[in-house]
Amino acid sequence: MTITGQDAVRRAAPAAVVARGVTKVYGQGDAAVHALRGVDVGFATGAFTAIMGPSGSGKSTLMHCLAGLDTVTEGEVRVGDVDITRLNDKQLTLLRRERVGFIFQAFNLLPTLTAEQNIRLPLDIAGRQADQELFDVVIRTVGLADRLKHKPSELSGGQQQRVAVARALISKPDVIFADEPTGNLDSRSGAEVLSFLRTSVRELGQTIVMVTHDPVAASYADRVVFLRDGVLVTELTQPSPQSVLDTLMKLEG
Amino acid sequence: MLKTTLAGLRAHKLRLLLTSLAITLGVGFIAGTFVLTDTIQASFTQQIAASADKVDVAVLPSPSDKPSPLTAADLDKIRTATGVAEAQGIVQGDAPLIGKDGKVVGDFPTAGVSIVTGRLGRTEVTSGAAPSAADQAVLDKDTAKTRGFKIGDTVQVLDHAGKPHAFHVVGLFDAGIDQRIAYTGAVGFTTEAAQAMTGEKGFREIDVAAAAGVTPQALKTAVSSALAGAGHKVRTGDELADELAKANGADMQFITLGLLMFGVVAMLVAALVIYNTFNILVAQRAREMALLRCIGATRKQVFGSVLLESAVVGVIASLLGLVVGYGLGWGAIAVAGAMGQELPAVAVSLAPRTIGLALAIGVVVTVGAALLPARTATRVAPIAALRTQTGEQTFKAGVLRMVFAALFLVAGVGTTAAGVMATPGPQALFIVMAGGVLTFCAVLILGPVIVRPLSVFAGWLPAKLSGVPGRLAVDNSRRNPKRSATTTVALTIGVTLMTLISVITATTRATVTAQLDSQFPVDYMVMSQGALEGAGGPGGVPRELAAGLRARPELASVVQIRQGEARVGRADYQVGTYDGPYKVVAQKGSTQGFTGTNAIVGTTAAKRLGAQPGGTLALATPKAGTVNVKVIAIFDDSAPLPGITVPPDAFEKWFGHVNDDQVLVNAKDGVASDVARKAVEAAAQDYPAAKVVSSTEIRGQFDDMLNTMLMVITGLLGLAILISLLGIANTLSLSVHERTRESALLRALGLTRPQLRRMLSLEALILGLIGAIVGVVLGGAFGWAATQTLVADVLFRLPVTQVLLFVALSGLAGVLAALLPGRRAARASIVGSLASD
Repeated sequence: MTITGQDAVRRAAPAAVVARGVTKVYGQGDAAVHALRGVDVGFATGAFTAIMGPSGSGKSTLMHCLAGLDTVTEGEVRVGDVDITRLNDKQLTLLRRERVGFIFQAFNLLPTLTAEQNIRLPLDIAGRQADQELFDVVIRTVGLADRLKHKPSELSGGQQQRVAVARALISKPDVIFADEPTGNLDSRSGAEVLSFLRTSVRELGQTIVMVTHDPVAASYADRVVFLRDGVLVTELTQPSPQSVLDTLMKLEG
Repeated sequence: MLKTTLAGLRAHKLRLLLTSLAITLGVGFIAGTFVLTDTIQASFTQQIAASADKVDVAVLPSPSDKPSPLTAADLDKIRTATGVAEAQGIVQGDAPLIGKDGKVVGDFPTAGVSIVTGRLGRTEVTSGAAPSAADQAVLDKDTAKTRGFKIGDTVQVLDHAGKPHAFHVVGLFDAGIDQRIAYTGAVGFTTEAAQAMTGEKGFREIDVAAAAGVTPQALKTAVSSALAGAGHKVRTGDELADELAKANGADMQFITLGLLMFGVVAMLVAALVIYNTFNILVAQRAREMALLRCIGATRKQVFGSVLLESAVVGVIASLLGLVVGYGLGWGAIAVAGAMGQELPAVAVSLAPRTIGLALAIGVVVTVGAALLPARTATRVAPIAALRTQTGEQTFKAGVLRMVFAALFLVAGVGTTAAGVMATPGPQALFIVMAGGVLTFCAVLILGPVIVRPLSVFAGWLPAKLSGVPGRLAVDNSRRNPKRSATTTVALTIGVTLMTLISVITATTRATVTAQLDSQFPVDYMVMSQGALEGAGGPGGVPRELAAGLRARPELASVVQIRQGEARVGRADYQVGTYDGPYKVVAQKGSTQGFTGTNAIVGTTAAKRLGAQPGGTLALATPKAGTVNVKVIAIFDDSAPLPGITVPPDAFEKWFGHVNDDQVLVNAKDGVASDVARKAVEAAAQDYPAAKVVSSTEIRGQFDDMLNTMLMVITGLLGLAILISLLGIANTLSLSVHERTRESALLRALGLTRPQLRRMLSLEALILGLIGAIVGVVLGGAFGWAATQTLVADVLFRLPVTQVLLFVALSGLAGVLAALLPGRRAARASIVGSLASD
């Protein structure tokens, strides 16, 4: 039960990302859509958290707001010690560059760049040198050593997603946001990608927040938070596919 | 299907507009050309008709090569013919007006014309009265304005012997359609005074008015029989108007054709822009097309829908182009009016032909350019609708492409080489031009192949300086070589022509300057009006002037040049002499022993006469009958000597004691130029017809002429460049649209808005530079080839600063073209863009 022990340590660690009373309203008047209605949630440093919920529950919107890709209508989002709702576009961009990593469902890579160039892209943009040791570790972890010179069009979907994972890891961000990272993959490639994510949390101490609607994917996380109609309704720790599925069934019903 | 297409068009109004703009500008230029020239011609025709209306019959000198002038005897015969109410002879010759500075005005002598009053008075006196006494004169109103004379002033005018006479200005008149008067200005006298001043014995034209009840046709018959055997042209007023209008129409046609050439270049560029735009649109809408195919549209229907879209674009753009053209024509006339070239009030002409041609050209070019993209659209498989991501277009240089490119290149280079080797002349120039077109085709075919290495070359510095945005820009500029190639080729056309023109201008300038330096080593030239252009003013410069110059201590050498005309074989040639220390450089033969009846001949005259050193020529001289001269040398035409030059003594014997045509003056070393100039001017002061020009002025005039030409052509080519920039903007904005998600991803990964904008600007910069580099290379190469065909020993000059400026401006223009697309890309919301398909 060493896992439980480690988990306890992580709980005690300060939160990497905190949302307080986050509300997001699209449109105005009668056409107003309340995507988030006052969400309070924290994501511990060095933990792998999944955000789940039925379609239209606001899980993607929550992630976009947490990552500074979208603005909140009300409330506060802290990444580390910074309240990102008070930042302008330039500051937000720099924050994303320095402290946030992304893995999207699809279209993660620039088609003109090779795998290696894609992986190094965030560092290049920031004008930083890659930590060669970390680079080697990451490449070994995701198993891309022989694919570095390939263009995305020459890689399989699973390989492309592994490149995206490597790219997110290479800049050692405070937090990585993953939006349905396995949504476009077959189950075997998906399992591989999820293992890498969990390994990076375990071995590199990376913080990851993942949005998914797949109970199996969510079961790789340390903790799952559930959203419905823009409100945080419940959460699970040490989830299994079955316990996630049960909770979902309860929410839908 | 029609509905689908139209709905699609409505949904993309902005894109439609940008695409249309290229065609609109091209069509606008062509329509504007027609509007302008039609209006000018309508105005002229109206004036001609109004003027000729007063005349029932006009008699003109016979059109043979030696026109027999209309004499006073002819006038008497006409006056006594039956049915003639009145007949008036019109006198026109040179009557140099002296300006307020005591020197004759203008580069050419003003015209002296007779002002006829009464029924046959065709000259419109706009203020004051027509001259009615021998000491009265009228001035054309432009001359009066520019020279500062008004009614009531007394003016001095030189007669044909160069003697000044005083006249009271009693009125001002409108020069009307007479091109010569419009250019030189004119002084109007009574008929007798006009004859006395100009020294013209005969008449330029005799106008006849019919007696009551006599038809112009009957009058024409009567006048013709009265003049039988004299070979004069007799025309009724209507016939005269028609002839004049036709002659004028031929002149206008020349201008129209010249302007249309630039219109064609603009349309060619516009066609490339349209072709590229539709290609991109079809590629981007592959899924849409596939969906249409899935739900049952045939290939033909898909093809038709793209063509229909292009036709709608073509019609709208052409209509807009017509409006623009009408505005351009109107604006040009208004600007000309504001600058004093007023056209009498005629409606700005929009002929049905203009409307028809503009619409036809616009629609045909647009639909024609969309044909290939439409065919591509039919090749989209229905299954493509189900694919989520449209794959990157890959480009491989096919064997066929390389073979065709090689064929065109070999043909182009071969033809050009043949042109360069050929003897200089218009024919060689045409061969080089044909070679240029073939080579350009090769470059067009090779475009996608060469655009990759060029983008690395052009992008090397930006990528170095700008980090990630720069590197991404280089990658983006080469990711779709076909698209980049077409986009840049449009710009290449304009830059090639610009470079070509500036190379030719610079080379001409250098060559002519060098010739002036070696053949024409003088500081000042004193000559009569018009002598610079070879027209020869009345009387020339009295020889006393040269004697006065020789007496001046500031001046080192004075060379007098005199000339006259003599018939050699079947044509007249300039025969002359020089008197003073001038060194002739012989191309063939030797100037040793240039005395007695020996002659030296200029290259052009020698070619026409087939003269060689050692041969003889028979000259029919005015004073000594036919004499034989021996040719001892051939000299280059750029020397300021008459085509056939003989020693001074012989000239004096054969042509009499004629005045100097030009006097060439060199200052002593060490004399300041303003001191020397004052000395020359003081010696020339007593001779109003003698004008002093310095060699720097001559060079300046030549430079001005070249610069004006360069400016006009550059301005006209600017349109083609503008259209190609629209093409860059269009391609970029479509690419930005295509890469919405990519841009969002980059923004999510930490690329700031300015960096994203910079990335697009750099991409446009690279595209602009590629277009410019290819254009400069082609323009430079063919400029060199073209100048080799002009004259034998040409001094090739590449105007490096100008060429670098073209490259820099093209890059800058590219950056400007990227402003709007860049703004849009940077403003897009990341979340929205990530979600978009």
